[in-house]
Amino acid sequence: MPWTAALSALAASNSAACPGPEQGFVRLASAEAEIAYRWTPDELKIGQFFGVEMVACRLPGGEAVDTIVVDAQMPAHGHGMNYRPRSTRLAPDRYLVSGLMLHMAGHWRVTFDLFQGTKRTRLTHDVTLKP
Amino acid sequence: MKRLTAIAACLAVAGAAVAIAGSQGRNAVEPAAFSADEREAILSHGPWPPPMPPDPSNRVSGNSDAIALGRWLFSDKRLSADGARSCATCHDPAKAFTDGRDRSIGLVRVDRNAIALANLRLNRWYGWAGAADSLWAQSIRPILDPKEFAATPELVRARLAADAAIRAAYARVFAAEMSRDPPERVLVNLAKALAAYQETIVTARTPFDDFRDALARGDTATLAHYPLAAQKGLKIFVGKGRCTACHLGPNFTSGEFEDVGVPYFVEAHRVDAGRFAGIAELRRSSFSLAGPHNDDAVRADAAPTRHVEQLHRNWGEFRVPSLRNVAATAPYMHNGSLATLEDVVRHYSQVDEERLHGTEGQRLLRPLHLTREEASDLVAFLKTLSSAVVSQR
Ligand code: HEC
Ligand code: HEC
Ligand SMILES: [Cu+2]
Repeated sequence: MPWTAALSALAASNSAACPGPEQGFVRLASAEAEIAYRWTPDELKIGQFFGVEMVACRLPGGEAVDTIVVDAQMPAHGHGMNYRPRSTRLAPDRYLVSGLMLHMAGHWRVTFDLFQGTKRTRLTHDVTLKP
Repeated sequence: MKRLTAIAACLAVAGAAVAIAGSQGRNAVEPAAFSADEREAILSHGPWPPPMPPDPSNRVSGNSDAIALGRWLFSDKRLSADGARSCATCHDPAKAFTDGRDRSIGLVRVDRNAIALANLRLNRWYGWAGAADSLWAQSIRPILDPKEFAATPELVRARLAADAAIRAAYARVFAAEMSRDPPERVLVNLAKALAAYQETIVTARTPFDDFRDALARGDTATLAHYPLAAQKGLKIFVGKGRCTACHLGPNFTSGEFEDVGVPYFVEAHRVDAGRFAGIAELRRSSFSLAGPHNDDAVRADAAPTRHVEQLHRNWGEFRVPSLRNVAATAPYMHNGSLATLEDVVRHYSQVDEERLHGTEGQRLLRPLHLTREEASDLVAFLKTLSSAVVSQR
């Protein structure tokens, strides 16, 4: 078995530990990667600070995540958040990000950037906030 | 009667446009119809008043002795170095807690318009640039500002500790001897008493609130009391005016900072950097919620302070003001440059896109090109956000 294949086999075995809806997590996947996340508190409201707990379930190459960056933009308005979230590592491939705040109603794009060394893998999730 | 039944039937259909008859038409009343989205947006501006729990960063918030001491201090001229002015000079209770000037005058003319003090527990940031993150920290700023009171903690302690009544009140509220507390602690404590008092300034319910609650209940009889012009203005406010994007929720503000194209030159060669400078001042301040004077051990309310980020676009951004009681707080904008609500509406109607300082993020604001009637409807709506009464517990 080539070296990289061995690593991705290892990574694939990680997804067994990927939390699901029974623990309040939502899965988000692309061709390259998969994460599970849950908001804290679980309902997003305008002007209210919130955090997100997330688990990297499947990653390209299978190396552990060094850091993750969560951010949010309003594409239609061309602006992002006024606050910089900070992430804390809870366990390997498991992070808690706090300090997010969405200050307008409408359509926000939340980005999850997973860094493995200099490699960045981005997953996005769209949120629509009611007024 | 027939029409009322028809309206009731209409209200019963979820998601259907809601037709509301106004009482102000001369002949047949033209109803302002609200779509489901508009209705949802309107309901989001209430109910009023929202809960205003005590401030965890201020251990005397809500304390009646502190409120009484703060009320006294608010009009006490001894806090200013030359003894010539008090908080009430610029925040006059008879003028909705503002001064009616474009830019306030302290020892010299300051750069900004005095903010009408009301509903202060709802703020995340204080001042036009959010240089303070608590009401008590904001209350210290004018005392030390060389352009306003130009006092020092030592001066404040010496002046006030000489007054037996103040000394006694201080001892009762803070369980400490004023002349033995270090001057900085005395200053912070007095600011916390000032904050306790200012928290009691709450604007009363308005015609808009009655309309909004009636809409929530489906109470057509009450809905009809709300003038038709205001209903039409409200429709613009939540609709094509996109005012609700920034002036949101029960207090009609996101509490955040935006650039709506108000010139930021104070003089020919001097600009007011707005939020950009506000964040810098917050970072320098030893009175922020991140500092030692926060009474909340877990610093629950310090998340904005911890996470706020200074961005280039913060240049020329100012806090989105609440529109509660707006009819009573002229002139408008951070520099008081617009005299009337008609002028403000004209500003949004003709907003100069070139003047929007940011390059990005301004796609929200475009000239609205309102007709005369639309502009006057929008003003009519804004006037229904006011009520004469300012309740003080
Ligand atoms: C010289 C006039 C002047 C005096 C005196 C003055 N203020 Fe102000 N006040 C202002 C101006 C101007 C602003 C806006 C300041 C800014 O943007 O930084 C303001 C803002 C405030 C705010 C912020 C309100 C909000 O919604 O953000 C509070 C609270 C306040 N003042 C309280 C006080 C207190 C308490 C005193 C007395 C210790 C006082 N002020 C004295 C002019 C004055
Ligand atoms: C992009 C966010 C944004 C939008 C959209 C917006 N406003 Fe504002 N509004 C602000 C900001 C920020 C200020 C203060 C600007 C300054 O002082 O430089 C302000 C100021 C005001 C004021 C003056 C209040 C005072 O006390 O000085 C009024 C009235 C007002 N807006 C009404 C409206 C109306 C009506 C609309 C819709 C036509 C609207 N706003 C849309 C952000 C916004
Ligand atoms: Cu936006």
